[in-house]
Amino acid sequence: MTEKIVVANKGLIKADFAFWVGRYMDKLFDAFENKKIVGNKCPKCGDVFVPPRKICGKCNVTIPFDQNWVNLPNTGTLKNYTITYYKINDRTSRKVKKHQTIGMVQIDGSNTSIIYRLLNMEPEEVKVGMKLKILWEEKTRGAPSDIKGFVKF
Amino acid sequence: MQKVGIVGYYQVKLYSDANYGRYEMIFEAVRGALDKAGLKKKDITTVISCTNDYYDGRTISNSFAVEAGGAYLADESKVEMDGAHALLYGMMRILSGNHKLAVIWAGSMASCFPYHSARLFETDPTWERPTAYVNDITALGFQMRAYMNKFGVSAEEIAGIAVKNRKNASKNPLALKEAQNPNLTVKDVLNSETYADPVRELMVAQPCDGVAALLLAPEKQALKITDKPVWITGVGYNQDAYYLGDRNLAESKSMELASKMAYKTAGIKDPLKEIDIAEIFESAAHEELILKEALGLTDKGEGPSLNSEINGEFPINPSGGAIGGNPPCGTGLIRIIEATKQIRGEANGYQVKNVNKAIASGQIGMCAQNNIIYILEGGN
Repeated sequence: MTEKIVVANKGLIKADFAFWVGRYMDKLFDAFENKKIVGNKCPKCGDVFVPPRKICGKCNVTIPFDQNWVNLPNTGTLKNYTITYYKINDRTSRKVKKHQTIGMVQIDGSNTSIIYRLLNMEPEEVKVGMKLKILWEEKTRGAPSDIKGFVKF
Repeated sequence: MQKVGIVGYYQVKLYSDANYGRYEMIFEAVRGALDKAGLKKKDITTVISCTNDYYDGRTISNSFAVEAGGAYLADESKVEMDGAHALLYGMMRILSGNHKLAVIWAGSMASCFPYHSARLFETDPTWERPTAYVNDITALGFQMRAYMNKFGVSAEEIAGIAVKNRKNASKNPLALKEAQNPNLTVKDVLNSETYADPVRELMVAQPCDGVAALLLAPEKQALKITDKPVWITGVGYNQDAYYLGDRNLAESKSMELASKMAYKTAGIKDPLKEIDIAEIFESAAHEELILKEALGLTDKGEGPSLNSEINGEFPINPSGGAIGGNPPCGTGLIRIIEATKQIRGEANGYQVKNVNKAIASGQIGMCAQNNIIYILEGGN
């Protein structure tokens, strides 16, 4: 069998895509910049969403931009977690030396969970239901990565 | 519902790194299905393909496959989900009354791109994508833990599903070689590499290279083409929320609703009694159990107690399922082909006795966000 010939198309053109985050997410990222969390509440079912959103899918109604904002604390409950040794954002899914513990955390006062790393704890310490608090990056820039992760509360 | 018949099929052998190109694979599948059914290019009235622009490395990914897929100067369209969704589109084309023969083909070559990293691109570009904590594998880790925690199902019981499917795959000559293992043990599965705890390497349906094709015809034509048509008597589909953090991952509400819709159309009251086998698209071992329960075959959390071996009480994935080989876009269509084989008595080596009614399912999205299920029946 002859060797397989492949044509690798690497970076022939650079076509980066710019997404506008929208007004609702913008408000969340503004809060992140000040190390704060905001959600918004569906006027019909009362669910509080983090990240905030314009539409409640369940009720199929709009949450008006000028109302129903809820200031939320920096604390939450661990609902679920997974531990991985693989780099996720990597072309070849390389293994990394240090594992990452990734948690689903429900911010107190909200009805949804957000996904971030769990920091400063060993895998055997991680328990669903444990209380956590946000560890902010020292310098925030109004982006999802302003939350460095969650630590024990 | 007017009867729509499956009148032919063909699946190429699955490889982790195929030594031939997409065009050849698509041609082999489509031409193979036509040849087996004794049909010609001129008999095709519509072609529905299922590929993914990102996975194929080009935009409008059906444009390159026109000639190979039998669509040259023909009525052609694409579904960018799972092959099982392409079948739905094909079925609708037949039910419109305008078509006599639909070709549905689906598949991809995962060897050409970093599949698990690419799945990160399903996440919200303004929210979860920049932090890069979620891809299909970490999502499966969350889903398996949610299921275990809620119902007290053990990792051993889940590993047992991987053992069953890999054992079944070893009897299926078209399954992925790397997935076939007749001697695997639960311990081997639990000791395999941790992908995203508690998910282990051998529990995962590994992406691979492969294409499958299926032929559909309205009742009258179907009976002319074959004396062994398989009828689609029910179909249901349903979609769950986008963010993983909004969902209850321990169950599959979308599959529950999809199956109710399909059972209603097919007149099924008790699926466990009335249906003989199921071919389910499971992205990992635990997902087969979650979907099995959502199909109403057992109570929630009781999936492991219903024996689903080839000679068990209710066989599931006698072909090896998606764990037996998971060519992106093609996997759901292969489930329908495998269920068809069981009904026609053509599953050589892994045939279940006396199959007349079968479930076949497909899915797309993280943790089976969108499910689609078909009820298939034999008989003229």
